[in-house]
Amino acid sequence: MPSGALLLQSIILGLLLGGLYALLAAGLTLYFGIMRVVMIAHSAFLILAAYLAWWTNDRLGIDPLLSMVVTVPLFFGAGVLLQRGLLSRLRPVTLTMMSVLITFAIALIIEGLLGYVFSGTQRRIQLGYGTESFNLFGARVAVVKLIAFALAAVSLAGLYVLMKRTQFGWALRATIQHPDAARLVGIDTERTAGFGFGLGLATAAVGGTALSLDTTIYPSLHWHWIGPLMAIIVVGGLGSVPGAAAAALVLGLAQSLLQIPMGATWAQTVFYVALFATLAVRPQGFFGGRLAQRF
Amino acid sequence: MLIAAILVFPSLAPNPYILSSGVIVLNWAVLATAWNFVGGFTGYISLGHGALAGLGGYATGLLITKAGIPSFVALILAAVLVAALAVPIGFAALRVRGASFVIVSIALVLILLLVFQSWSSVTGGSRGLVVPRPFPGMLRPEHHRAFFFLYGGLLILALATWWLLDRSRFGMGLKAIREDEDKAESLGTPTFAYKLTVFVVSTAFTALAGGLYALWFGDLDPVFQFSVLTGSYIVLMALLGGVRNLFGPVLGAIVVGIALEYFKVEFGSTPLHLVTTGLLLGLVVMFMPDGVIPSVTGLAQRLRKREQSSIREFTAADLAEQRKRDREGATS
Repeated sequence: MPSGALLLQSIILGLLLGGLYALLAAGLTLYFGIMRVVMIAHSAFLILAAYLAWWTNDRLGIDPLLSMVVTVPLFFGAGVLLQRGLLSRLRPVTLTMMSVLITFAIALIIEGLLGYVFSGTQRRIQLGYGTESFNLFGARVAVVKLIAFALAAVSLAGLYVLMKRTQFGWALRATIQHPDAARLVGIDTERTAGFGFGLGLATAAVGGTALSLDTTIYPSLHWHWIGPLMAIIVVGGLGSVPGAAAAALVLGLAQSLLQIPMGATWAQTVFYVALFATLAVRPQGFFGGRLAQRF
Repeated sequence: MLIAAILVFPSLAPNPYILSSGVIVLNWAVLATAWNFVGGFTGYISLGHGALAGLGGYATGLLITKAGIPSFVALILAAVLVAALAVPIGFAALRVRGASFVIVSIALVLILLLVFQSWSSVTGGSRGLVVPRPFPGMLRPEHHRAFFFLYGGLLILALATWWLLDRSRFGMGLKAIREDEDKAESLGTPTFAYKLTVFVVSTAFTALAGGLYALWFGDLDPVFQFSVLTGSYIVLMALLGGVRNLFGPVLGAIVVGIALEYFKVEFGSTPLHLVTTGLLLGLVVMFMPDGVIPSVTGLAQRLRKREQSSIREFTAADLAEQRKRDREGATS
């Protein structure tokens, strides 16, 4: 039986990790809600943002968090372009399958270009406060992990307010619920869908910056992220943001706790076990509503 | 015509390297055709078939090294085992449609990579697994030639099975799933059983190809056996050639397979091959989701301005045949 401090440490780290998972899964859920698109390239954009943060720190010598000033609007624009230029031009009948392939192709292109420009070497940001940590009831919590979690939490809260309180949020939710009806009441669904995509990709920019603070990055890292993220959105029920957030926290916690007896590598399998178990027992996911049942 | 090409190629090949490239291309052709059992008939796109081939390879290798079973018995046994394993995998993956299926197929690759890298006491982990040669004492060019014919036989078997299914009631049901799964189900097609059956058939052929690869190459590395890239190459080949044609995946495999080999020779292994693959896949998806054969057929028909029946699967197969004949006439 591991000691209480170790257990507490794992729980805190698991929750902090789960926050980051939740933010990224929220982006994936947005894409799926808007267009029934499974965005394989989401985690590739995540790594791209992490590389940009590393590059800002390495070359310009400024705090990696400041890179978000550029990357967030940039990724928003890229998301709008991606939706309007590529995804909305696919045939509606085969949209789901073909969009998977096209975003997969984008992921490959990003990975290849990252490898070409920055080489395959592993990179890590050296920060003045990178090694600092503080005690919380006997558990050591690194400051950077807390910053990453705070970023994720603030962005998620912002996303929530945007979705629930603003006119754009109403339009976006209407587009997700029933595009035809939304168009009837005068919502420009195509523009809204484009902006929704931009929003989803902006979460990858925030997540990538948060990730770069305390993780060693390399071009093919995105494959380690896409699996868990996909598992989270399926377990949470495709298209459900609260479901994805809950699944992210639970699975992040489970991963962190299982690391104690099983080690880091085998603990990752919890995502895939959860994925297969969900599909075998409850294919629509544990929190999904009526949307998920048909996909 | 394809049979003749397979029989003639080894004697035409100028050196063993070209012959070994031929084996690799045939390996791709078998994989793409096997993929097309699922992708072409039912429209379910799997990115995980590369991992199924890897599983076949590892099963073959482990049966030979750990259980001491003769090579080709192990190959068949491995295919049966992997096909049996495909039942629970298919059971989980095929209960959901579209998006979730692709997610599961990618997850399959990632989880297998994880398991085979970490479980080093059985699989050899990252150091790889060495599979003994099935024909000891055979010189390298002869070894290539033997495997070229083995792969050729497997390809013809796979193509014949596809052809038979294409014309059967079972195949009709599968195509109905592709066109509209709900309608197919309401008309009484047992969609789930059909999907599962064809997935298992496809897996069996994929595992056979993977096992043959293990016997031929003799060395397995989890990073290459369980790579999402392999699966995406297979999808690219099948889509490029055209998933609704018997010879579409073969054509795609010839084009992409040769291009891959050429790339390896010219540029080594820079990350740029990822970019190229991505761009090519994107272009195919955006501009010719039906593949080259229907695109060319459509163009030819427009040029000829002749009224033809709308059943394009038949005419396109004929055209593929004819084009192959033309190409051989030009080369020999």
